[in-house]
Amino acid sequence: MNRASFAKIWRRVGVFAALILLIVVASFLSDRFLTVPNLLNILRQVAIVGILAIGMTFVILTKGIDLSVGSLLGLSVVFYAGLLDDHGMVVAIPLGLSAAMLAGLVNGIGVAWARIPPFIMTLGMLSFARGIAFIYTGGTPIPILNESFYRLGNGYVAGIPIPSLILLAVLAVSAVVLSLTAFGRSVYGIGSNEEAARLSGVPVKFYTILVYVISGLVSGLAGLVYASQLSIGTPIAGQGYELDAIAAVVVGGTSLFGGKGTVAGTFIGTLIIGVLANILNLTGVDPYVQQLFKGALIVTAVYIMSRTDRA
Amino acid sequence: MPADSSRLLLDARGLTMAFDGNVVLKDVNLALRAGEVHAIVGENGAGKSTLIKTLGGVYRPGSGRLFLDGQEMKLRSPADAIGSGLVVIHQELSLAPHLSVAENIFLGHYPKTSIGLVDRRRMHGETRALLSRLNIGIDPRALAGDLSIAQQQMIEIAKAISYKARVLILDEPTAVLDESMVGTLFDLVAKLKAEGLGIIFISHHLEEIFRIADTVTVLRDGRRTGVSPVAEIDQSWLVSKMIGRDFPEFSAGTRRTGEPALEVKGLTLNGVFEDITFTAHRGEVVGLAGLVGAGRTEVAQAICGVRHPTSGEIRIFGRKTRLRNPKMAMRLAMAYVSEDRKTLGLLPNRPVRENATISKLSRFRCFGFLRLGKERAFVADMIRRLDIRLAGMDVEIRTLSGGNQQKVLIGRALAVDPQILIFDEPTRGVDIGAKGEIYEIIEELVASGICVILISSELEEILRLSDKIVVLRRGRLAKTLTRHEASESTIMQAAALAG
Repeated sequence: MNRASFAKIWRRVGVFAALILLIVVASFLSDRFLTVPNLLNILRQVAIVGILAIGMTFVILTKGIDLSVGSLLGLSVVFYAGLLDDHGMVVAIPLGLSAAMLAGLVNGIGVAWARIPPFIMTLGMLSFARGIAFIYTGGTPIPILNESFYRLGNGYVAGIPIPSLILLAVLAVSAVVLSLTAFGRSVYGIGSNEEAARLSGVPVKFYTILVYVISGLVSGLAGLVYASQLSIGTPIAGQGYELDAIAAVVVGGTSLFGGKGTVAGTFIGTLIIGVLANILNLTGVDPYVQQLFKGALIVTAVYIMSRTDRA
Repeated sequence: MPADSSRLLLDARGLTMAFDGNVVLKDVNLALRAGEVHAIVGENGAGKSTLIKTLGGVYRPGSGRLFLDGQEMKLRSPADAIGSGLVVIHQELSLAPHLSVAENIFLGHYPKTSIGLVDRRRMHGETRALLSRLNIGIDPRALAGDLSIAQQQMIEIAKAISYKARVLILDEPTAVLDESMVGTLFDLVAKLKAEGLGIIFISHHLEEIFRIADTVTVLRDGRRTGVSPVAEIDQSWLVSKMIGRDFPEFSAGTRRTGEPALEVKGLTLNGVFEDITFTAHRGEVVGLAGLVGAGRTEVAQAICGVRHPTSGEIRIFGRKTRLRNPKMAMRLAMAYVSEDRKTLGLLPNRPVRENATISKLSRFRCFGFLRLGKERAFVADMIRRLDIRLAGMDVEIRTLSGGNQQKVLIGRALAVDPQILIFDEPTRGVDIGAKGEIYEIIEELVASGICVILISSELEEILRLSDKIVVLRRGRLAKTLTRHEASESTIMQAAALAG
């Protein structure tokens, strides 16, 4: 087999093959691994970062980055917690989601209109949104007592955890949007060559803004799961999650240079990181040492990808 | 002219090269004498760049021998080649933009003072001496990044001379230059020739071969199909050796033109161009000629909504319009094929299919979703119609040759069903075979009643295709010539001379 065709096959199934390999190895290392409760547990544990990573995929496909997703998650969490008691879910959920989307809109306008580099714009928002979360709560976590809200993060439908279902729904919608709509196609075009896309009549500014709004929206959805699972609205919710989301995206084969990648890849990247953490836990590896594995995984995955890219 | 008695400088015998069983160079001989300019021509894929890379030490030939001054050479790396006096000037220039001219020339072997610091005075002095010997009027202290492409190229050549190059290989040096800069480059080449260097010259522009080369070698499919002193051949000999058939003829000047399609009146973009007026009809090619920097591209971009003119009027099929963006232009059936494929055209890492349809996705939309089957059928039809050669519509466009990339971008413009089509340097960086095919495409479009605006730095191209030629000079309309008035000299006079 020559190098070019190997690269092609790797691009199509490589990340998936890596996941399968990891699962096979994991099932040898622990007989508790390949059980339905454990697998569902993994799927629930990766839900929050998985959802964030899908929104992040949209942004990275346009050659951008969104460092604020962890803070936007935190922002939505404190609004859910603060509004649930007095107004109920019907008000709290839309308002929490809107807050995250509004912050995403500001990111988008800053990037598309004011031409602020995405790294800087969203770094500013990372701090700004976190600040609002602290101001809103006065720094103290707000407990959540709503029963049906609790079910969102902890309940099951047809035996599958609701957070996992939310993740799969976000995945399915995103996959369809990216591959089968003019917007999705244009996202790839913008990331591949923004000027060429503009000259081809793509509404580059509008779509760029939309991408950051989507990232804000899914941050709010991830916040929903977070607030419900922990039953508390803490202003530090989601701190550092942006990096986990970026890691899942790049392990899943999306290029940081834009225009290349899929949300399915991101989902598999999320699972690879999740399965790795799970098997390290099951085999009793020191949590500090687990960090080393995760770091090595990210760098190795990107290294392999860059090798095959050049072939 | 090299005298027959002049010595053989470089002698390559039976060079053969294969990648994965794919023979790209087959038994090629090349003899270069001191003081000779030897041109190598051939279509893309003919083996020119493999040959250059073999001579430059990048590839090691599968078989064949290489002699320099009668001594057999085994080149293991580009550094080896440079050390032996074989220097390749690549198309992509490689000067460090933030260093001065002198620093670039001495990069890696700076002269040192007694205490080990860089001896700037000596460096500048030697650079100045070198540049004046070569008649290059550039300040050694200027930053490389501030120089024009042509000047950077000359500095690259001067750098090669400072390495004591004996064989200079110029890989398409004129591809990025306009007519006037080409002249300056050729003066330098003549100078080097007089100093006894052997020069290998690659170009797609056949007329340049006749201006500058003593000998020409033609490659096709990795084989040498012809070699001859330039004085004994003509252009059609070259073309037939290159493509194995004759070049198409055109109907410019005899076309039946229709109603006015595009009327431009007093179009002005402050500080860039002013008072541009012309009319283009259905079924007509209007050529926009002028030197690089005359404002041709800017005028075209202002017409199709990429730039916003400060004053003046544009009428499309009689209707006055003010275009805010390219999308509006496309809606009015006007499309623009950019001169700059890399930065303004290609979506490099996306499939050909997506590149072709990005301009008009609404074509395939049904209740908000793209119908991929419909898209595939559309692209398949385009590939057939434009004769695009590729492994499949899902390969990344960057893997295609320049000519085929260009055809895909033409297809992208055609996807909007344009009535007015602006081609900006449509054959830049494409080989002669594809060039002829692109001309045929333009010819067909015009015959079907489309109005074409053609921008080109190649006078021959403008003359071959245009019914009417609008010549710009420094952002102003210099002259409008009919097909019958136009010739290389009337265009150049209008483009370059005052009054």
